[in-house]
Parts: sequence; C-alpha cells; structure tokens
Amino acid sequence: MAEAIHKKLQSELEKYQQMQKDVSKSMTSRQKLEAQLTENNIVKEELALLDSQNTVYKLIGPVLVKQDLDEAKATVSKRLEYINGEIQRYETLLKELERKSEQHREVLSSLQQEYQRAQAQNP
Amino acid sequence: MASTIHDQMAAAGKVKRSKYLPQGVERLKEEHRKVVKDCRSQFEHWKKVENDYESLQERLRTLPDKLSYDIMVPFGPLAFMPGKLVHTNELTVLLGDNWFAKCSAKQADALVEHRKKHVKNTLDDLQKVMKNFQNRADFTDDLEKLTGDTGDFVDIREEVINEEEVTKAKHRLAHKANSKPKQEYLLDLEEDKEKKEGDEEGTTGVLSEEELWARLDELERQEELQDERYRLDSTDTNGEDTTSSSEEEKEADGGSDVQVNGHQKENGWVPTSITSQMNGTNGSHPEDEEEEDCDEEAGNGLPTIYFSHTAEFKKVRINTGKNTTLKFSERNEQKAQAKRKKKSGKSNGHSPHESYKITSPADIYRVFVDLVNGEPIPRKSILKSRSRENSVCSDTSESSTADFEERRAAFGRSWSHDDATHSDTSDGITEEESPTGTSPHTNGCFEAFTSTVIEKDPLPCSIPHLTIAPPALPTIPERKLEEVGPEAPQEPPKWMSKFKATRLHQK
Repeated sequence: MAEAIHKKLQSELEKYQQMQKDVSKSMTSRQKLEAQLTENNIVKEELALLDSQNTVYKLIGPVLVKQDLDEAKATVSKRLEYINGEIQRYETLLKELERKSEQHREVLSSLQQEYQRAQAQNP
Repeated sequence: MASTIHDQMAAAGKVKRSKYLPQGVERLKEEHRKVVKDCRSQFEHWKKVENDYESLQERLRTLPDKLSYDIMVPFGPLAFMPGKLVHTNELTVLLGDNWFAKCSAKQADALVEHRKKHVKNTLDDLQKVMKNFQNRADFTDDLEKLTGDTGDFVDIREEVINEEEVTKAKHRLAHKANSKPKQEYLLDLEEDKEKKEGDEEGTTGVLSEEELWARLDELERQEELQDERYRLDSTDTNGEDTTSSSEEEKEADGGSDVQVNGHQKENGWVPTSITSQMNGTNGSHPEDEEEEDCDEEAGNGLPTIYFSHTAEFKKVRINTGKNTTLKFSERNEQKAQAKRKKKSGKSNGHSPHESYKITSPADIYRVFVDLVNGEPIPRKSILKSRSRENSVCSDTSESSTADFEERRAAFGRSWSHDDATHSDTSDGITEEESPTGTSPHTNGCFEAFTSTVIEKDPLPCSIPHLTIAPPALPTIPERKLEEVGPEAPQEPPKWMSKFKATRLHQK
C-alpha cells in the first residue's frame, strides 16, 4: 500500500517538474520577446528621425538590401504588432501553466500526506 | 529583468514561509542583498554604455573636419595596414533588428542622442529599484531588531476597556463627510445634562462638602488628562484645535457623566513615532495622572509599558460674564485656589453647607462663581453671547440691571447685580448680604433658573427673595413694570419649564 502510494508520488513529482520546466521556458521566450519589443520601438523612433534622403538597408543574411524609408517604417510597425501578439499568447500560456502547476502541487502535497500516514501505519 | 527580480522575491518568500523566523530573516536579507548587487552590476554596465556613446558623439563631431584621414586599418584580427579614411561624412548606422540607414555625421549625432535618452531612462529605473530594495533590506533589519528585543524599541500598550466613550478625540472620524460622531457627542451631552439635573432635583441635596471637593479634584485630574490628549491629537492632526470652536455649556457640578474619552489609540504604531510622542507628552505634562506600569514581559520579547487613561472632562471655553472667557481648567484652578483659601480658615464665618446644597439647577449658578479681580461674579450661561450684554432688550447688560436693582430694593434686598455673587469658596457673600436672613436652604430653592425658555416675567419680581437677574430675558422695561405684582402663576397659557413648576410648587 505504501509502495503504491510511493510510486504514485514519484510519477506526480516528475510531472510537476516537467511542468516547472515548461513554465521557465515560456518565461525565457517571453523575456526575449520583450527585448525585441523595446528594440523595435527604438528602430521605429529612429526611422522617424530620418528623412527620405537617407537610404535604408535591411540585412538579410550576408546582404544589405536597400529598402524604402516608408516601406521600412511599415515593416517595423508590422513587426511590432506581431511581437505584441506573441507576448499576449505567451502570457496566457504562462498563466495556464502556472494554474496547472498549482493543481499539481496540491495533488503532490496530499499524496505526500497519505504516504506519510501510510508510513506511520505500516512500518 | 523585472521578472527575475520577482522570481527571486517569490523564491525568498516561499522559502521564508517554511523556515523559522531568524533563518527566514537571514534568507530574506540575503535575497535582498543579491538583488541589490544585481542592480549595481547592471547599473555599472549601463553607465559604461553611456560613456561609450559620449565618446562616439565626440568622434562624430570631429570626423567631418577633414576630407580624409591617414589611419592604420585593422586587417583581420592580428594586423593593421596603413590606409585612408574617406567620405568622412557618410555613415551607415545600425538602427537595430538588422536595419541600417545611411546618414550624415550630424544625423548620426541626433540618433546617438536619442539612444542616450533610453539609456538614461534605464539607469533611472535601476536606481529606483536599488533604492527600493535597499529600503526593504533596512526595514528587515529594523524588524529583526524589534522582534529580537535589541535596540531602543519599547512596546507601549493601552488596553481600552470602555469602548463607548465618545470624545472630541474622535475628530478623525468626525472630519469625514458625515460628522456623525460629533453629533453623537452633542447628543450625549444633552442627555446627560438632563439626566443629571433630574437626579439633582430628585435627591434631597446631601452632597457633603467633602464629597464635593473630592469630585472637583477628580474633575481637575480628568481635565489635565484631556489636555494631554488634546496635545497628542493636535500633533497627530497637525494642530487642529477644536476646543476653540466648542461653546457648549458644561455644568461644573458633578454633572458630567459625559463620557468624553473614547481615545482609541491604535496599538500598532510604528515604534519610533510612539517613543517620540510619548516623550512629547511626558515633557508637557510631568504631573500626568496616567497610570503607567512598566512591565517587562519576557514572553513578549520586548519591554512593554501598559498604561490606561482615566475618564476626563472636555475642556470648554465658557463665556463667563464681563468679557471673561475662562477655560474649564482655569475655573477649576480658581476653585482650587478658593478652596485653599477657604480651608485655611472660614473667612466669612458662614457654614459652608448652604452653598453646596444643590437641589435645583439654579443652585448651580449660585454655587459656582468666578473669582474675577477678587470679586465673585456670577457665571452667565455660555449660551448668551457677549454681544447681548450691551443690547437694550436683554437683561444681560449691566445698564439694565439698574431697573432690577430698584425693584429688588423694593423687595428688601440691597444687592446690586454686579455684586451678585455665587461663591463656592468664600462662602456665600450672598448670605452675607442678605439682610432678610432667609434661610439659605430656601434661598437655594427659589433661585431663578436662568434659561432662555422661561420668563417673560422675571421671577425675582414676583418672589420676595433675592435672585440673580435672569440674564437672557428679552424683557422690556415697560413690561417689567407691569408685572411687578406676583403674576407668575397667572399666565396660564404660557408654557412653563418643569423647574419653574417645581419651584412654584415648593413655594
């Protein structure tokens, strides 16, 4: 009886750890997205400082490709929106994961209690 | 960056919950220190970045000065080659995220300025976070000291038993939109006044002299406590002085069951503020009547002082005739002085009993007089404003007392209104001046009840005893002359206060 509980405990524990890893992964990707967000914001502002006389290039691989200033501005704005959307998505994902990990934690603690009781009864 | 900090805090919090207090505090402090260190390193980093941008700007300013520069061009990672720097005004600037722009040196300068602004913002945020966490660390230090019973912190507690007491000290509540507490207080005052006066009417006046003095002493003490409390409250609320605004009449006889002191000190004060306030009040009232017990409670882990307040009187400014406004305390002091004088010897050879037999409210006015310039002066009700003293139609003015004097003389009593005295201490100059020698007891019974409610006809006119002129009567001289005869009972449709009725009854 105690053994069964013990095994269950172990499996639950592993699941919980896995969940924690997922949480941290999403956390890091979200942070990356945030960095990109700030960067693109700066680019947008700096493009605003330029005028059409300056040529704008985009680095695609090893190549600097000439771009139109207005095109560049539009592209940057679109990218900003995309990043914002991604961040939202990650937020919801993170919340879900958090909730699930909470549940798991409770399950774990109850299992632990059972296990201890079983241990107390049985040795 | 912020999320890492949150993670750390969360970790610290979780850990703390599961450990003992000292270990928890240690861990918390450690986490704080880590965060602060982190902040510092980031701060260093961004400071370096800012310096780099500064030097870049310098370079940009000097670059277009020459058409071309002779320089050593880096050739791979290990070698240099002599070469020339040309097109000195044309720059390709990385805007971020793989975007480039060709611009002049001046435009590049503007871009660098813009970036520097961002860096400055980041630096400021870091500073704030650092300060915040520094404060938190300091606070945990303080907390540790506090709970660990080291340092100068003393826990001061007051256990309030009677929660119903309503005071002016509750003015924090009163200053909210609904000033209900104040109204409650007023209500209590009136109720109690009536109740007390009813009691006095009921008893047959066996307030012995000693009891009365004891009561006066108690009231004095209460008032001192109230003073101290006011000072506390005024420091709390930045000098809001509500005493001057109150002009409620306070009967000085033991009339006040008014529970004046719902002083509810919060027990959860920050220790420093407690100590400073305690010092302040101790300084101002060395003769405080508070009971202080210094209990060293081992179980508490902190030296604790228990103290309690006694019930007190409210301090009231009373308009007492002739442009004198005595504070309640001053009046009590005068009483005390007179009491001492009296105790030193019976100056007037009168038994003191008469003046302290209070059977009707009128006795109050007889008993409690002010000593102004050595002369006992009757206290006028504070409901009468000073302005009325000079009004023609009111009896409060001294000019109109002349008429009274005539009439009173007619009744065999030579007693000027000015000298109408109700001395509680120098026993009854009233008695002294009474040529009729009416017994003081009856004298007390038939004192006029000075109230605005009564008496279009002044009672003294109708009764062959001396009484003080009812100050608030809007009598007109003609009318007085009319009512010289005893007509008081013959005005049936008039509403009569129950005091007057009792008096007439007793006659």
